[in-house]
Amino acid sequence: MMLDNKFDEYYEKNFYQGGTTCCPGCGGPLLWRMILEALGPNTIVYGDGPCAMCAIRNIKLPTFSIHFSFIADGSTGILAALRARGRQDITVISSGGDGATGDISLGKVSAAAERNENMIQICVDNEAYMNTGIQKSGLTPFGAWTTTTPTGKENNKKEIPMIIAAHRVPYVATASISYPHDLKAKIAKAKGIEGFKYIHTVIPCPTGWRFDPAKSVEVTRLGVDTWAWPLYEIERGTMKISAKPEQKPIKEYLSAQGRFRQMKPEQIEYLQKEIDSKRVTLLESNGKRLFL
Amino acid sequence: MSFTRMMEGNEAAAWGALLSRAQVVPAYPITPQTELISSIASLIAEGKMKAEYIKVEGEHTAMAAAVGASAAGARVFTASSSQGIVFMEEALWMPPGMRLPIGMCMVNRAIAPIGGLRPDHNDSLLQRDNGWIQLYCENSQEVLDTIIMGYRVGEDRRIYLPVATCYDGYFVSATATPTTIPAQTDVDEFLPPYKHEMYSLLPEDWKPRPYSENIAKARYEVQQAHERAKKVIEDVDKEYKKRFGRGYDGALEEYNCDGAEAVLVTMGSMTGTVRDVIDELRVKGKKIGLVKLRCFRPFPTEELQRLAKKYNAIAVVDRNTSYGSAGGGIVSMEVARALYALEDRPLLLNFHVGLGGTDVTMRQIEYMADKTLKAVKAGRVKEAVDWVELKDLGPVM
Amino acid sequence: MVRSFRPEVDQNKCVKCGLCQQFCPEGTVMLSDEGVVFDYRFCKGCGVCGNECRIKAITMVREV
Repeated sequence: MMLDNKFDEYYEKNFYQGGTTCCPGCGGPLLWRMILEALGPNTIVYGDGPCAMCAIRNIKLPTFSIHFSFIADGSTGILAALRARGRQDITVISSGGDGATGDISLGKVSAAAERNENMIQICVDNEAYMNTGIQKSGLTPFGAWTTTTPTGKENNKKEIPMIIAAHRVPYVATASISYPHDLKAKIAKAKGIEGFKYIHTVIPCPTGWRFDPAKSVEVTRLGVDTWAWPLYEIERGTMKISAKPEQKPIKEYLSAQGRFRQMKPEQIEYLQKEIDSKRVTLLESNGKRLFL
Repeated sequence: MSFTRMMEGNEAAAWGALLSRAQVVPAYPITPQTELISSIASLIAEGKMKAEYIKVEGEHTAMAAAVGASAAGARVFTASSSQGIVFMEEALWMPPGMRLPIGMCMVNRAIAPIGGLRPDHNDSLLQRDNGWIQLYCENSQEVLDTIIMGYRVGEDRRIYLPVATCYDGYFVSATATPTTIPAQTDVDEFLPPYKHEMYSLLPEDWKPRPYSENIAKARYEVQQAHERAKKVIEDVDKEYKKRFGRGYDGALEEYNCDGAEAVLVTMGSMTGTVRDVIDELRVKGKKIGLVKLRCFRPFPTEELQRLAKKYNAIAVVDRNTSYGSAGGGIVSMEVARALYALEDRPLLLNFHVGLGGTDVTMRQIEYMADKTLKAVKAGRVKEAVDWVELKDLGPVM
Repeated sequence: MVRSFRPEVDQNKCVKCGLCQQFCPEGTVMLSDEGVVFDYRFCKGCGVCGNECRIKAITMVREV
């Protein structure tokens, strides 16, 4: 009883109720706890994005959502209403999954970026349409198994952070739940910037990526350490790499997940080359201004 | 200060939004609504209107932003037509279900294909199932007045439903008629500021959206709001008439019906032309009147039933199509259902006219009136659904 | 809560680094004055806490 009360207090303090309906090991609730810690209570959370739905339901702050085809647009309206009511002190964080942000609502995120809406737009990327049972999205990585790509995804993952950065917004960043201090710092930084901020995080999905839930954070960390998911910021068009980990071979990341089981050696080689060249390009562009 | 001048429907609608103190206007241009939103943009730029116009990239986003803004406590106004309305269809289901009293103008325009830029009513009638209140206007003055009344109705704590002010593209939106703009102070007395009592998104005041977990119960609540809205619409209209000198008889208006044997039922701008033809016919001794259907949702079933007892035939003029329907156009099917409960039913005729915005001519109206009176004489209806435009009625005038 | 495994901690081994609390997806691990405690009402037994603990002070014990 005493312990229960202690935990209830803990949940109140963190603005997040423990015990979601997410899968065991899902990165979604973990992400939101970190975000809310960085943002504080004067916040409105907008967003759905099917899997994230389960995580968002446990937030103890005002939340509002429509559907996953409504990314960044409802929050646009919320911001306008807050301005009309003189409440620009409230932070609006607007979220969407990878299917939402990258596919069905990409135009909307682009438009919100063009309008420079004063929101923190985050992408909760678990690399497929997970809530409907693991179907491929535009952000599914090359070679991954999904129910609609049973022999492995044929195409590359869309680089949404770069697409948004090309809109010349004040702040774009990639983050990971395996590097919590970095993630929280980026959220806090975004909160202090006026205009459209975009933060993209890849969320581990034990169910869809096929691995033991206990390895959730470990697998996510491997994603960063193999440079499959590099951490960087693009502040006012200038690239700033957040971490330069000692590069681990991509094979380690791939063999840790069942969804890459059917990948052929040539494909793995191809992927390694792609990542190597991406790493070189990123390091070269560090400190430089991107885009025309 | 109140003033009167010639004004097109779209500009009158912009003034309606201004006087209603709409705070957030997310909108996307589409013919024939474009002048409405550009008027609003001008009024804001001139400092006359204190609102934020969100230049969204599509209608789907426009309605989504409207939903977000309304939930966060701002009075919202938007407008669209035809393809735009259909594009925002997914979003249009949100406000009634979420009980958000958004005000919207549906500037009627035919839906593609087999349409064009001119009006018919399919775009707004398509929304008849999702819970929007729908009012149809005949001219610029009515548009302005209905927008203001619409907020009073929609934001009533017994209702909390979005209200669509529908008016025909071109015939109302781009036709200038004398319009009186009431004084802002008078409108302020009539329309208090928006405050949703059921929920709030502010962190210090958070009330999550209330709705029954039970789906049937939640839907029934929307239905009940529509039932209650019937009286609220009447009452608000009466109060408006008292204050501003202009009323629209609530949901239905009977025009020149004293001693009539039959009536034509019309919606939208064609009503204006029908008034003139009916006046001429009455002078000639033809016993036919006009019923203007102003409120399509909630459908005024009880009022129509009361009214129907007086006439031997009701002819519904449908400026819409419902392919493969049980019989005829959308309005006629609603009327048929309303009348079915009566023991002694009048004859029911249905005319399709003005489809795709073709002109509803005086000759066509005379033809419809004639056919209706013939049916009364014969005691039966020969052609249940008459596609008037396929008939050769000779020269237009 | 029905789960296959539940986490249990050896308080003597535990160095109170707080990584388990930081990485628990559900937020049901807390580093309190009494050491690491779990909210078994909501813990799903995913095992991330055990996996992240650098000194293996947490073990996943079979429940069902």
